[in-house]
Amino acid sequence: MAATDIQTIDCLKDYLYRAMQLEHATIPAYLSAMYSIHPQTNSDAYHILRVVVVEEMLHLTIAANLMNAVGGKPDLTRADFVPEFPTYLPDGEKDFQVSLQCFSPSALDTFLKIERPGLAPDANTRRIPRRSRGTAKLAACPEDEELEFYSIGDFYQEIERGFEHLYRVHGAALFSGDPKRQITSEYYYSGGGELRPVVCMESARAAIGLITGQGEGDGGGIYDAERELAHFYRFEQLKLGKYYEPGDVPHDPKGPPCQVDWTAVYPTYTNPRLEKFDASSELYEYARDFNRDYAEFLALVTEAFNGKPQLLLDAVPKMFRLRNGAMQLMRNPLPASKASADSAAAGQPDGPANAAPTFEVAEFAR
Amino acid sequence: MSAQEYDVVVVGAGVAGAVLAKHLTDGGLRVLILEAGPASAQSLSGYTQHLQTFYEARSKGPESAWPADPNAPQPDTADLRYNNGYFVQNGPQLYGSSYSRVQGGSTLHWLGVSLRMLPEDFELRSLYGVGRDWPLRYDDLEPFYRKAERDLGVSANVSDQQYHGLTFPDGYDYPMERVPLSYSDQWLSDATDGLEVSIGERAIPVHIRSYPAARNSIPRPSYQPTGALDRSDEGRTRQPFLGERCQGNTSCTPICPVQAKYNAGRTLAQIEPRKMELRARAVASEIDVDSVTGAVRGIRYKQYDGSTHTVQEAKARRYVIAAHAVENAKLMLASGLEGTNKLVGCNLMDHPTLYAWGLAPKPIGPFRGPLSTAGIEDFRSGSFRAGHAAFRFDVGNDGWKAPTGSPDSTVLDEVMHHGRFGRSLRQQLESTLSRQVRLSLAVEQLPEESNRVRLDQRFLDPLGNPRPAIDYRIHEYSLAGMAEAARVARAIFDHAGIEDHTDPEKASWFPSVQYRDRTFHYHGMGHFAGTHLMGDDAATSVVDHQQRSWEHKNLYLIGSGSFPSMGTSNPTLTIAALAIRTAEHLVSELTSE
Repeated sequence: MAATDIQTIDCLKDYLYRAMQLEHATIPAYLSAMYSIHPQTNSDAYHILRVVVVEEMLHLTIAANLMNAVGGKPDLTRADFVPEFPTYLPDGEKDFQVSLQCFSPSALDTFLKIERPGLAPDANTRRIPRRSRGTAKLAACPEDEELEFYSIGDFYQEIERGFEHLYRVHGAALFSGDPKRQITSEYYYSGGGELRPVVCMESARAAIGLITGQGEGDGGGIYDAERELAHFYRFEQLKLGKYYEPGDVPHDPKGPPCQVDWTAVYPTYTNPRLEKFDASSELYEYARDFNRDYAEFLALVTEAFNGKPQLLLDAVPKMFRLRNGAMQLMRNPLPASKASADSAAAGQPDGPANAAPTFEVAEFAR
Repeated sequence: MSAQEYDVVVVGAGVAGAVLAKHLTDGGLRVLILEAGPASAQSLSGYTQHLQTFYEARSKGPESAWPADPNAPQPDTADLRYNNGYFVQNGPQLYGSSYSRVQGGSTLHWLGVSLRMLPEDFELRSLYGVGRDWPLRYDDLEPFYRKAERDLGVSANVSDQQYHGLTFPDGYDYPMERVPLSYSDQWLSDATDGLEVSIGERAIPVHIRSYPAARNSIPRPSYQPTGALDRSDEGRTRQPFLGERCQGNTSCTPICPVQAKYNAGRTLAQIEPRKMELRARAVASEIDVDSVTGAVRGIRYKQYDGSTHTVQEAKARRYVIAAHAVENAKLMLASGLEGTNKLVGCNLMDHPTLYAWGLAPKPIGPFRGPLSTAGIEDFRSGSFRAGHAAFRFDVGNDGWKAPTGSPDSTVLDEVMHHGRFGRSLRQQLESTLSRQVRLSLAVEQLPEESNRVRLDQRFLDPLGNPRPAIDYRIHEYSLAGMAEAARVARAIFDHAGIEDHTDPEKASWFPSVQYRDRTFHYHGMGHFAGTHLMGDDAATSVVDHQQRSWEHKNLYLIGSGSFPSMGTSNPTLTIAALAIRTAEHLVSELTSE
């Protein structure tokens, strides 16, 4: 096992916080695309997005289990937890922007980048200088924020090395967390992977393996260890217009057609911000309400992750509320007066754009 | 697979046929299923289309998501009022229920109530001197109930379900925990605390009780809930990870948007594709019988595509008709197989049902959660059954939607009849809609030979198949039960402080029936039963305890048509348990031949 920079349990907790932040960061982007699809249309795309976003929530929950296992306190309410969009994620040689935008070919390309498999070519390049200045430091090294990981895969590999190292040092004492704080399948379900408690090194390894395998596939194949198609290949089906089937090799799906109707989508404003809304308008109120609901939701999930797992059942209706709030915004055009000044900005849909949730929660942070 | 290779031909891809086929193929047999309707709900995108059909429908009746193919027409409750639907209704009462001819069958729009029948329901004649006994007892069926509960994915706690003699083996519990009771259930439970209602000499305490539902809930250890399954035309199944838990969408009937509620398509999608062939749009039209031996030689069916069809014949070692109680009888009669005792088609039953509705004294949060989550089971058992029908209640979570079409009709009433608008309208709606309570009073019906399905050759469907004609009367036994059920509902309302608004004049239109000096407005529960009932004696029944035809030894008629009586349970779980029992019998018989 290669050397690790994770020499203390506190350092590991910093990494695990970053992991939760990273897993969460993709969720607003995926939801923005998914909810922009006209209801009852684009069944293939909608359900692929849905599976992926539900599994990102699973990964977030697994990261919280890892945090709880080593005696940490998951906190989704910290000021820097939700990134400002566009935000940056590492993707090997280059990093790239993740935007809040409607379902579109450019959104799909971003999603493929998010989930692209890849590890640094050698140990020296696993950490490289930060390439872009986003507000959030996703996949940055906690011990030196001027460095970041070459890829998400490298980031998780570091966490696994940290666990192994600290386990050698501390033995079972590493897992000092109260097992009652673990979230299990009765409270969180996603057919994609059973949520098992993290209480020992073996379960920690399995948890990390599930996160990385579901995103990028297991050992270069299109399926993860649970025989489930990895996210990258799920999205690639939309790009290539065909479903993968067992036995297929990467980039060459041979299953039935997978259809996309790019026009059955609300053309929402890319990376919307509350300041683009007329502050006296109803739309502004709704956009602000959404952000408040989202902040409250993150606070509720934080409570659930801190010893009250049953609260996740109460979170379900709140997620429906968020969906309804997002779709209300997306059905309404954003009046041109405020938005048009930026309409030439890159990435905006042609013509008038609709409103969308902005995911700016700082105002409501506790 | 060539025709000679099938072990069993199954007619009908509803819950009976699907569950049977699953157990046949698991036992190594090869099966051909003929389905009269389209396979439009088997893929996720097809199911989504049905969801869209429901959203766009002006009337949201049980059939609104599932329009019929003209080649396989089906009853629709919206046709009852002018009696111009698929059934030729000869009266004197209207038969009020419907079913769907589509792959997956009526489970696509059932509520999911999965009650076992009571031990006493199997011995009605012996215990109470009415109806008929089954050739089976509760203990014979109990192991199959457990298998059916697993196949359908039933959520309940055994601790809630041990009443009226229902027993469960030590250590058994349902695959999933009970679906949580709604707030209104909990309120009603508190508000009826201590209430007893007398039936005859006996004071019966009233309980609001969670009922077993085939809707996904929190799984118990070793059970993994199955949600939607996306089956391609080639028979490959994908799991979209949708519907692994009920989300409380309040449209169980006519369509669960996420398939958290069981439908038979889920079972079909889990069948090993190499062991099964499923032909949709294939309407069985005649059972071809050797007139000397009585053995079935094949099933003739019409494979249609739009306005054209071809006639084909399916052959196998055994034949199972699982097309629905009415369609089973129709196919037998159309094949000239009314039986020497002429009992095919006779003894048609349902649970004719009344509504009671009112306003609670405080907001109770209707219009959310599953359509219902609790029932009242206390009046399903007792010596009173010698004199009148037993009954059970569903407690609704959907305000007055079922009886009156609320909330739309409530808005209309306030605007048109009370002249409200603006703030006053909003306040009134907030006050009214939030307090709406509804009970369904489902009443037992006994087998009567004169209640029957016949064929009316004057009315043919586009494929030339005759439409079913129905003779139907609700007898004194059930009418007296209705009167008692209505009295119990009033007692509950009085005790709970619920203002009674039950008024058929202000409700949606329902068929009516006279009883002494009163008129009951009833609807069907979709609980068809009894058209080929089972018995110990070939002279007085159509099938034996394995659902095997007495007169045609390689023919089985399965489903609720086999029920000699139906008690007060929703029939689906019993249909599935019987289907599993018949499948195990067939596997054992065919693998030893």
